[in-house]
Amino acid sequence: MPRIAGIDIPTDKRIVIALTYIYGIGKVLSKKILSELKIDENLRAKDLHEDQSSALGAYIEKNFSIEGQLRRQEMQNIARMKSIGCYRGIRHKVGLPVRGQRTKTNARTRKGRKKTVAGKKNVKELG
Amino acid sequence: MSRSVKKGPYVDGKLFEKVQKQKEMGSSEPIRTWARSCTIVPDFVSHTFMIHNGKIFHKLFVTDDMVGHKLGEFALTRTFRAHGGVKKKETPHG
Repeated sequence: MPRIAGIDIPTDKRIVIALTYIYGIGKVLSKKILSELKIDENLRAKDLHEDQSSALGAYIEKNFSIEGQLRRQEMQNIARMKSIGCYRGIRHKVGLPVRGQRTKTNARTRKGRKKTVAGKKNVKELG
Repeated sequence: MSRSVKKGPYVDGKLFEKVQKQKEMGSSEPIRTWARSCTIVPDFVSHTFMIHNGKIFHKLFVTDDMVGHKLGEFALTRTFRAHGGVKKKETPHG
């Protein structure tokens, strides 16, 4: 099982796809990396030559932040916005959508499961 | 869509002048402003602004972290008064 850039162990998929198992690398970035290093996208991850996988690891670690490092960066960014009290920070604090989506309906991902309010108009009329 | 890099950040001209003037004089009185869309540039750091939210002026002391944000981001325009369903109904009657 090949290890690329530390902990990640993608399987016997094509490497374009296998690389996307790394947090912080999507399909676009994966394609870019492979073309940069002149590695065939269709190669299976297990068929990678050792030089190739080490080159991949080195290239990724040098140019991009991935996994834990990226997660930490994201958390820090959010923490910074919370601490300065800007609009986005406040939205993060109160757990509502941050990017201007509607909240009259939907927004359930941010707000969590529906909280039914007793005695609300519709409920009353039905009863 | 984000602003074109070519133009650089949008900074309200008059506000910027005011800040510069304050810098020369060394005072740091709160500056009243309606320029909510003005980007906070490094010159604004450690100055105090009173940002209009459509009704009142919100006081804001600018720190390093705020550079790059807009003034308006720090003066909310909406007030949210908790969903108090049950409680609200009891109080007017009782």
